[in-house]
Amino acid sequence: MSPIYRFENPDPASALPDGPLHGMRVALQSTVSVAGWPTDADSAALTDFTALEDATVVQRLRQAGAALTGLTRASEFGFGLHGSQAGEAVRSDAADAELVLDMMGECRVAAARADAFGLLPSVGLVSRLGLIGLIPSMERCGLLARSCDTLSTLLAALAGPDGRDLTLEETPLPPPAPLPDDGRGVTLGVIPQALEGLPVAQAEGFRAAIDRLTAAGITVCELTLPEYNLFDLVHAIVGAVEASSCAGRYDSVRYGHRPPGAKDWNEMYLSARGAAFGTCVKSFLIQGAFFQFERYAAYENACRIRARLVAAVQQLMPQVDALALPLADRVPEGATATLAETRAPFASTLLASVTGQPALALPAAGACGALQLVGSRLGDARLLALGGMLLALCREGK
Amino acid sequence: MDFEAVIGLEIHVELNCATKLFCDCPNRPGDEPNANTCPTCLWMPGAAPRLSQAALEKAALLCLGLGAELQPLSAFDQKVYYYPDLPKGYQLSQAHLPLSRGGSITVTNEQGEARTLRIHHIHMEEDVAKLVHELEGRQPISLVDFNRAGAPLVEIVTEPDFRTPHEAMEFLKALRTQVRYVGASECSMENGTMRVDANISVRPRGTDQMNTKVEVKNMNSVRHVGDAIAFETARQSAAVQAGETVAQHTRLWDPDKKVTLPMRAKFEGPCVPDPSVSAIELTPAWIESLRARLPEMPAAKAERLVKEHGISAEDAAFLSADTDVADYFEALTAQGVTTKMALHWTATQVLPAVRERGQEISASSVTPERLAGLLTLLARDEINANAARDVLVALFESDASAEAIVNERGFRQISDADELGALIDHVLAAEPTALADVRNGVGKAMGFLIGQVMQASQGKANPKLIKELLAKKLDL
Repeated sequence: MSPIYRFENPDPASALPDGPLHGMRVALQSTVSVAGWPTDADSAALTDFTALEDATVVQRLRQAGAALTGLTRASEFGFGLHGSQAGEAVRSDAADAELVLDMMGECRVAAARADAFGLLPSVGLVSRLGLIGLIPSMERCGLLARSCDTLSTLLAALAGPDGRDLTLEETPLPPPAPLPDDGRGVTLGVIPQALEGLPVAQAEGFRAAIDRLTAAGITVCELTLPEYNLFDLVHAIVGAVEASSCAGRYDSVRYGHRPPGAKDWNEMYLSARGAAFGTCVKSFLIQGAFFQFERYAAYENACRIRARLVAAVQQLMPQVDALALPLADRVPEGATATLAETRAPFASTLLASVTGQPALALPAAGACGALQLVGSRLGDARLLALGGMLLALCREGK
Repeated sequence: MDFEAVIGLEIHVELNCATKLFCDCPNRPGDEPNANTCPTCLWMPGAAPRLSQAALEKAALLCLGLGAELQPLSAFDQKVYYYPDLPKGYQLSQAHLPLSRGGSITVTNEQGEARTLRIHHIHMEEDVAKLVHELEGRQPISLVDFNRAGAPLVEIVTEPDFRTPHEAMEFLKALRTQVRYVGASECSMENGTMRVDANISVRPRGTDQMNTKVEVKNMNSVRHVGDAIAFETARQSAAVQAGETVAQHTRLWDPDKKVTLPMRAKFEGPCVPDPSVSAIELTPAWIESLRARLPEMPAAKAERLVKEHGISAEDAAFLSADTDVADYFEALTAQGVTTKMALHWTATQVLPAVRERGQEISASSVTPERLAGLLTLLARDEINANAARDVLVALFESDASAEAIVNERGFRQISDADELGALIDHVLAAEPTALADVRNGVGKAMGFLIGQVMQASQGKANPKLIKELLAKKLDL
């Protein structure tokens, strides 16, 4: 049994002779629907479930000539990275790229962990049809690969309206604003509060990366975002409430496991849902149900705070080419963890999850060191180009 | 103590769209169970809802037809409850930002006064699946038919302006007419395309306090709504009179026993905004383009019919209750048929005839043009009323014109004085008793003689002429 894959495609070769992704081996998670594959999101709630149709991203991979290698082991519903092999297929060269569901930073942290690059695309850029997650307003199809160029090629093939996910941007994007000619024209913004409370190694890694970028001639300025610490709260409340509602469909009526012996519907629900979810996901769902049913005012406040945070970050963006944020590059060992342990590595990735902006994860082994670049919404192409430029500058600076 | 009821209605109307609200499945709940389903309306993992533009337009048109104000921003929320008829554990409904606010319908109360009953808001939502309870051997089982899941609904929520069952029933009838006018739904309570819940409380007459309300469901006709409200008002009045407190709960109308009975409470939580369906932004230009598609509504039509055709308000209300009937009437008058004749024939002949044949008046083979041909012959005394009714039947049976039918079947009226005179002589000779009665001033006898002459002419005689000739012959 493969330590990385839980399902390997017996016939991975592309059906097409060419295409922009021809020859690219792409690994998926069981949170991405592939018709006929056991895409059960690694949850007992979807026992024996096979997707009825391909996710839009899968259709586009096929149309672009990519080879689908299989499904890597994921955490339940792709939530957190405990028990997840995300990034390992790329690290071990079993694949050239991976699609990793990102609900709070999973794709980005997995990329850093695997010495690879990870992109969380903007909200509204890549179809969510067929993604099986828990937090609709935050989850996106993350891309993970060994280079920014590969990410760019992959994004170009996957992005754009599909007529199925109507939350996507319909109007074609304008060409990205040109990057400054040389590194001295680039400005990155750092938010000092983002370093508070981080593990020492992560904070130091980030400072080292910023030093390297400064040495390469990049301008780094400090930005004020007094409410930075509220991203965690918004994710914990809004994300959990959405998850609690979203997981309502796992009721064992149409599929999934239904423990025998229930006397009525209520008992059926209780026993089926009780058996369906693992401890961590269950904690998150119960947290969401608590806010929805017992503390609704707090949920409404969290929604208002979210809107305020989105506006506050948007106001910062014109001053910089991108925000630079720390990035965890390791996740404690172990297949299971409490909700708090599961969420711990994602303190610095929640900003982009909450605001809908694109974020590019650069690994420690990359020329710049481990950090995230957060761009303006729908400025994904420019963000990837900026990432490539910074890497080149840091390499020259060495 | 004298009590009055305070009543508000919540009316679900199933839109007659071709597809469901969030997917392209046919909106035909009556098909083979689960034939009209897809990953979206089954809410399989990864499903992405797509709001139907057609449903949005139809719902918005319905709002405009009821005089409601479309909101520039509306959005869907998740109404969470767990029941096997709800495939995702929540119903998509517009709880916080409804499609429209305001609107009203004016009805006439029992005292003949105009009462304007206000609408609080109208929102869109999806229907749920249908549960079928059966026995598998001796094991009771519940089957789920998802054909109806995701069907497009609007819910019309009124202000608590109603005081009597009559007002509620008049409101529902007028609402049904108006929704049919805009072509949004058949609004049949019997078929479930209109479903009504009533919120009822009582208070001492003349006070303006608001007391605990009780919701009553499961009425499947307008008459049942009236009966249920009457029963519930009496029940609550008696309870308050007896010093009991009324608790907020839901009751079901039992149409056989004609009582309301308490039902088990369903768990319901607060609604949270749905992140997967985009908010609906309506521009003023879009709203105006929709308003331009709005037909003349019943009240305006009735007013115009009175003004243009000089008919009574009652007749105008009758005609405008169904836009197709009013159209038929107006098409007849446009063909030169007199108002009186057009009204009489539409109401007493054509409508019963098309209903008897299971047709729609708008699609009837007896078009206003063909009927006008018949009525012109009648107006010119070329045929009599008896024959006209027979010609109408013939018009339904063939494509021939009235003129052709009259000629072919010899329906033309006998207006020849000599021919009629011979028939009259024959009848007078055969009916000496009636003749004597007429001479003795027995009024009924004259009618009898006319009838006999008509019979002798095989229904073709001109009755006016018979009367004239008889009078002349008998020197009356």
